[in-house]
Amino acid sequence: MHTTPSPTAASSGEPAIELRDLVKTFRPLRGSTDTVVTAVDGIDLTIGQGEVVAFLGPNGAGKTTTLDMVLGLTEPTSGTARVFGRPPRTAVVGGHVSAVLQTGGLLRDLTVRETVRMIASTYAVTAPVDEVIDRAGLAELSNRRVSKCSGGEQQRLRFALALLPDPRLLVLDEPTAGMDVTARHEFWQTMHADASAGRTVVFATHYLEEADAFADRIVLVAGGRVVADGPTAEIRSRASGRTVTAVVADDAVARATAALFGLPGVTDVRRRGERLAITASDSDAVARILLGELGGRDLEITTAGLEEAFMALTGRSPAQPSPESPPDGIPARRHGVPEEVAR
Amino acid sequence: MNATFTLLEMRRITRDWSGMFFTAVLPAFFYLIFGATVDAKGETIGNGNVAMYVMISMAAYGAVTATTSIGGQAALERQQGWGRQLGLTPLPDSSYIAMKSLIAMTVAAVPILLTYALGAATGARGTASAWLLSGLLCLVGSAVFAVYGLLIGTAFRSEAAVGAASGTMVIFAFLGNLFIPLSGVLLTIAKFTPLYGYAALARYPLTEGYLTDGSQDPLWVPVLNVVVWLTIFSLGAVHFVRRGRERQ
Repeated sequence: MHTTPSPTAASSGEPAIELRDLVKTFRPLRGSTDTVVTAVDGIDLTIGQGEVVAFLGPNGAGKTTTLDMVLGLTEPTSGTARVFGRPPRTAVVGGHVSAVLQTGGLLRDLTVRETVRMIASTYAVTAPVDEVIDRAGLAELSNRRVSKCSGGEQQRLRFALALLPDPRLLVLDEPTAGMDVTARHEFWQTMHADASAGRTVVFATHYLEEADAFADRIVLVAGGRVVADGPTAEIRSRASGRTVTAVVADDAVARATAALFGLPGVTDVRRRGERLAITASDSDAVARILLGELGGRDLEITTAGLEEAFMALTGRSPAQPSPESPPDGIPARRHGVPEEVAR
Repeated sequence: MNATFTLLEMRRITRDWSGMFFTAVLPAFFYLIFGATVDAKGETIGNGNVAMYVMISMAAYGAVTATTSIGGQAALERQQGWGRQLGLTPLPDSSYIAMKSLIAMTVAAVPILLTYALGAATGARGTASAWLLSGLLCLVGSAVFAVYGLLIGTAFRSEAAVGAASGTMVIFAFLGNLFIPLSGVLLTIAKFTPLYGYAALARYPLTEGYLTDGSQDPLWVPVLNVVVWLTIFSLGAVHFVRRGRERQ
């Protein structure tokens, strides 16, 4: 997936994104008793040209707010955001950066082709409208009204709009949110097909699998801060615990627990009703011994969700922000606080 | 200014047939009922006749229905994410506003032209300057209600509210002395309502301020009415746009 930057990009030498001590606070609504909300709490981040980076974090982690500042849609409260060494709005006007936004953003009574033409007309120079429609896989739908397009098709249309200026940096904010599995798969296939040009791609997601499948580098964000940052393989190996559960006869539990703890990579064994739940990095080995010599049945294997990944990577639950974290920075479902609606 | 963008927007608006019917055809229909078919249509008023008086009122009603609806729709579109999409393009806000204003004026011109054409064909008579100036005042003054639409759209954030805002124009038109000639207490109240000043100004080239009950408005009455309501709408719109930004 990693591509070498093109010679022109290399010669300009500027990082695609450079964030310095970026902070964004929101004033509370008039009449509410909330205190000031800190959505982004001092992010320092440099993303080089040609990198494909996943911004991974739960809802309310500050991903969208950070990307909004990268795109010049929101002004930082303090700190700076530079895109190819320029202020974000300048980079947008120059067609160096474009984005696929999370929701909304389309006029329902235009056709697909009219939408592309309309956005194309705002740029001085763009890729040809029909070529962009083709690359986003919309050729068949070009005369369809936006209101008649499925969620996945509308997302491909947003992708087509983002391709218009042939940007050097493409930002995707939870591009597959609300899509079903097939649509999600198709979207990433389209992305893969297009990622050849040495484009820098930054995408926000709360799916670990998406980050894993597409990114070279994962930046883990929680509570408006970067809590982990590294190559995908490294982050995955630190967060790749799987949970194996199976029904084990009562008289075999003690023996099974001892045997399982003896396996390499097993970090936890506990009883859940009549099932035994084992957290391990090598789920195959656990499954083999469970079904074989331990006489387990009805086996299930689940991949660690993002919450487990957080615990693995940060040593704490996402539900327990450290004291200096913002009050609503992280959704805290377990503590009965409703999950913040994604902005 | 961007011709492709403006033309695509125009095409999109004309696609909404029911909306176009209410803005363009309904006022013309009202003119036929209230103006062209009444016995007194030939009676002289100022620089023209009664039919022309009714024609200008109906054209004004159609124009404000159009601009209210376009202002409201623009506000909704921006809140529903289209504003963010446009924020990712080089298009400056000032160009967007200029294009939307041009579109609002163009759509407002449709009921004015249609009603004036019907008027010319069915006995509305007046001096050339009364025709031209009243038409222009109808068109330019309708911009005030684009701000009203913007205010309602940003305040209530729903299609229904914008539809209702266009609908309330019927009520304001009654209260504003547009549909039936008011007199006495009702006329006094009318002078404080938002459509009164605009319609009275549009009719001024014809009536020179004379009302159907024989009294005369000095020019400052409709001018002050328009200025006050424009100020109220603008302050309200600015307030709600700011509140919308805080909420992001």
